[in-house]
Amino acid sequence: MGEQQLSLAAVRDALVREEDSIVFALIERARLPRNSPAYAPAAAAGGRSLAEFFFREAEAGHYQKPEDVPFFPQDLPSPVFPTTGYTKVLHSFASAVSMNDAIWKMYFNELIPLFTVDGDDGNYAETVALDFACLKALSRRVHIGKYVAEVKFKDAPQDYSPLIRAKDTSALMNLLTFKAVEEKVKKRVEKKARIFGQNVTLEENAGKHEGISGDSECKVNPEVLSKLYDQWVMPLTKDVEVEYLLRRLD
Amino acid sequence: MAAMDFYRYLTLVLLLHMCSGLSLDTVREFLTREEDTIVFSLIERAKYPLNTPAYDPAAAAAAAGHLHNASFAEMFVRESEAVQAKAGRYQSLQEIPFSPFRVPFTLAPPFNFTRELYPAAAFVNVNDDIWSMYFNQLLPLLAKNGDDGNYAATVSSDLVCLQALSRRINYGRYVAEVKFIGDQQNYTTLIRNKDKDALMKLLTSEAQEDVVKRRVQKKAMVFGQNVTLDGPVETGNSNSSQANFEADPSLVYKLYDQWVIPLTKQVEVEYLLHRLD
Repeated sequence: MGEQQLSLAAVRDALVREEDSIVFALIERARLPRNSPAYAPAAAAGGRSLAEFFFREAEAGHYQKPEDVPFFPQDLPSPVFPTTGYTKVLHSFASAVSMNDAIWKMYFNELIPLFTVDGDDGNYAETVALDFACLKALSRRVHIGKYVAEVKFKDAPQDYSPLIRAKDTSALMNLLTFKAVEEKVKKRVEKKARIFGQNVTLEENAGKHEGISGDSECKVNPEVLSKLYDQWVMPLTKDVEVEYLLRRLD
Repeated sequence: MAAMDFYRYLTLVLLLHMCSGLSLDTVREFLTREEDTIVFSLIERAKYPLNTPAYDPAAAAAAAGHLHNASFAEMFVRESEAVQAKAGRYQSLQEIPFSPFRVPFTLAPPFNFTRELYPAAAFVNVNDDIWSMYFNQLLPLLAKNGDDGNYAATVSSDLVCLQALSRRINYGRYVAEVKFIGDQQNYTTLIRNKDKDALMKLLTSEAQEDVVKRRVQKKAMVFGQNVTLDGPVETGNSNSSQANFEADPSLVYKLYDQWVIPLTKQVEVEYLLHRLD
């Protein structure tokens, strides 16, 4: 993201590509049961959960680009191996925009109970590593909203500037929303869950695009993906867009 | 063996077997599910170009401003595995890390893992071969030429591939255990004679292997296709360009044919050779 000229097509491509990553990550996480002890405060980890411990350690040294926002930004050491080749295309205050608190809460409180099976198999480290993959993908998707906002602003600064100056959040939200596009996204991500989550065998009809087996055989219920995008991913992305725009003229 | 002794023996074997939850069915199920994991991980890695500096110790040294013996990839894997070990990974023995290290304690809540492997043989693994196969043989074929500077994301996805391949291939220990239990007399004789060739023969089912290879290739086509809302994408057509898929399905076939399956059987034989220790 961000090396060449920014275009709506390139940004939409990035969003579409992220759908696959999100679906794969959820399918992999769904392989393990809920494993709630991984999320409980642990005396050994200073009262933090294993998940929080893991995230803090795992985030050290990676985050460079505006769409890679850390979940625990305090005390982050500087990267060991900086990401090169990235040219700044976003407004400088953009890096401050983070929806990660909301994403974190949404993921653990709402999403995990929806697509993981009750149970405990003791594989807590693997569990939080898989959660990390899910959260990173979700966070990246949502924060690509910064690029979306920048492209939209550049295309029509005369439409956005007065609203930004007036801090008219709801008017900005209206301007950013395209219901038709959102419906397509929901349907497509649901289709991906159906296709990527199916049980592929060598039988003749198995594996074709829609799959013969019902949704019940899907590793992640496609409706979960549809709901995830409808209730959280797309609204949070737009929140990022609005937040970004509100600072765009600073 | 007297009839009574034989039935007692059989009961004991079955009891041990049932306690461990290992059976040819559960083993096959695990390996089949692991195919999806491997295909997903390869597709994710294929999103980034080769990004060679990530694997070059000289590049790491230059970035750090001082001498280094390790590439960024090596450092990343070592550090990640250390964090994961502290979080409790590698306790169940199902996974074996690439880096050798000792973790004095783990922060993970305690859990009673059932020991399904014969303790003296549980250490058997081919991680060194997997590492070298992945970076030297597979990656150049999987990723497009180029450098997008996204080294952290790249090696992070390398680690996921390595972990999936390592888990699948070193699962040969469980496969061997199940096969051993299922045919103890035969295996015991061959093990005592250290007859590697005969063991390999006993373990091999070409028909089964063919099914696996074709299925994982199909998965690469299904999971790597470009899903849009406009109509179906042809996946069954053998003439469709391999370039339409994120990870080349014929490469995935080759991966299993030349490396995954042979290395798994290597693990099985090694494990069996230690099974009577």
